[in-house]
Amino acid sequence: MFIAGQLGNLPAHIRARTWAGFDADFSRAMAERGWIGLTIPREYGGAGLDAFARFVLVEELLAAGAPVAAHWIGDRQSAPLILHYGTEEQRRSFLPRICNGELFFCIGMSEPNSGSDLASVRTRAERVEGGWKLNGQKIWTTYAHKSHYMIALVRTSGTSEDRQSGLSQFLVDLSLPGVTVRPIMIGTGDTDFNEVFFEDVSLPDDALVGVEGNGWKQVNAELAFERSGPERIYSSLVLLDLWAKLLGPEPEPGDAARLGRLVARLAPLREMSIAMTALLARGASPITEAALFKDMGTEIEQQIPSEIADAVAMRPELAADPELLRTLAYLMQFNHVFSLRGGTREILRGMIARGLGLR
Amino acid sequence: MNDDDDFLAEAFRRQLGGTVTVEAIRAIEGGASCVEVWRDLDASGFVDAMLPEAAGGANLDLAQAFPLVQAAGEFCIPVPFAETMIARAILAAHGASIPSGVPIVLAAPSPTIPGARLVHHALIASSGVPTLVVATGRGDDVFGTGGATAIDPGDVLATLPGDTDTVMLAAAAVASGLMAGAMARVLEMSLRHAGERQQFGRSLGKFQAIQQQLAVLAEQVLSTQVAARNAFAGSAFDPVRVAAAKCRANEAAGLVCNIAHAIHGAIGVTAEFDLQLYTRRIKQWQLAFGSESYWGARLGRARIAAICDTTADFLRLHLSAGVA
Repeated sequence: MFIAGQLGNLPAHIRARTWAGFDADFSRAMAERGWIGLTIPREYGGAGLDAFARFVLVEELLAAGAPVAAHWIGDRQSAPLILHYGTEEQRRSFLPRICNGELFFCIGMSEPNSGSDLASVRTRAERVEGGWKLNGQKIWTTYAHKSHYMIALVRTSGTSEDRQSGLSQFLVDLSLPGVTVRPIMIGTGDTDFNEVFFEDVSLPDDALVGVEGNGWKQVNAELAFERSGPERIYSSLVLLDLWAKLLGPEPEPGDAARLGRLVARLAPLREMSIAMTALLARGASPITEAALFKDMGTEIEQQIPSEIADAVAMRPELAADPELLRTLAYLMQFNHVFSLRGGTREILRGMIARGLGLR
Repeated sequence: MNDDDDFLAEAFRRQLGGTVTVEAIRAIEGGASCVEVWRDLDASGFVDAMLPEAAGGANLDLAQAFPLVQAAGEFCIPVPFAETMIARAILAAHGASIPSGVPIVLAAPSPTIPGARLVHHALIASSGVPTLVVATGRGDDVFGTGGATAIDPGDVLATLPGDTDTVMLAAAAVASGLMAGAMARVLEMSLRHAGERQQFGRSLGKFQAIQQQLAVLAEQVLSTQVAARNAFAGSAFDPVRVAAAKCRANEAAGLVCNIAHAIHGAIGVTAEFDLQLYTRRIKQWQLAFGSESYWGARLGRARIAAICDTTADFLRLHLSAGVA
């Protein structure tokens, strides 16, 4: 009810952005209802509920096409990371502000020369008197220009030859001197992406999250959260549901079969996401399972716009519903990204192969 | 799955390891009688596992019986074990007497009916009513597994409450479970072969192209297993759950067999190699009891008819295993 009320008459092609849609006011309204940080303990400003309560809420938000991007990263992975690896002071400082919608987070992983090869990051934090000095560059940082903090994976010792060792995670206040955020415009005209430059940024001692040198392990734990949620199967759901509604009560057999086949693909994936939610809640880190799930999930997310494009254009003489067309066109121009963000298909399949004992 | 399920399925696998050998499968495919394999299976008691304890069963519900169906698929049981287990459960649930010591096929409408040449009893929908009949398989055994294209019904032994869909749902659900089991075995065989077979001086599994294919194979098997398990829920087969399961299993079937055979190369299709025993059956179950478009259309119509704002609601209300 709240979600429907907030969304009002937001058209489908805007709702189709779901977790790519940024609306700070919506996120603050969510926070007022206590819906950010649902799994964070009450003493840190959260709701103290279990992971399944969050699953139910997140599923509703995604299915409705709520613009959740502002608080999405903080809620999904930064707050759990700080809760798990942070110091007591960090928890007390950051978690309440994430939960009340005051702080938005972004992810500082990719660099110009570190895409899939994440362990080769070169951004470096050097220990200096009273803290750290940060130099380097991050890229493809979604909504960095609207976020307050980045959790960045950077090198604290050795060189990029040392691969997974010598990496650490830092809480970077993006308002600090020496931080420059430059938006990157994509072909559709959207500017969600950014480059973020660090030039002699002075970070306080307590900007380090977790253990120095433990960054690779921490980031992988974070990636299990990032890859296992329902947002990896629902990115095209607003389109699917709009199309299903337009089919009317008596769909043609071919359309019904197309719809049913897509639903049949989604059903076991949703079960897997729930199973991983249970594993994560028990403290496990289902990395291989999350890779399997995300690879299949993004495949169906990509397939839904293709199928609906086929269904719409198999009757070229009929005019397509204008809103369906706008929503479809948005997703057709964006769906190839679904299997890139959060780890490419090829990297995920490599992780699955490792899980199968082949590597 | 809880520990009891694991325990039961493991005991069943031990039993199958002793009785359902690949030699026995090949002999039956070659025309030998399946009576001996069937007698051992029937005597093991597993085929009665869903009957009430008073009738000598273990009173398993559908969810508890699923691991047995899956194991039957893993072992490629050459007689209709899972079909008989489900048929006996349906008969017992309606107080009908169970023909003693014989296998029963689920003969729903289908271009091919697995096992129909190996048995003399079938559960069919006759004039829209589930009916147990004496039956004879007719037409070609197109997959060489003891199937038939149709059955000729003989004496009626029992008529049951229900409709035309009762047998179809049971047959498709069982096929999905058997496919999931057979696919799991095919994955295991493919992983083993990729580890053993050497080309260009290293094992196939070391090649990235092969690793990526095996990853896709594993994904397809896992999602089929989850979908099939989901069809075995509640007190009776649910049309929406069965539709989703058979649709998923069918979509996966081609990909699973293609990848497994690609990894094996020509040896995989030879009579002496076991892979083809499994993949021929996966293809047989793919063709049997409704295609992905048949079940997809049913599922699509169910989605549209449901009073749900979103497909997420539909999944939660109609296709969820529990918790959320």
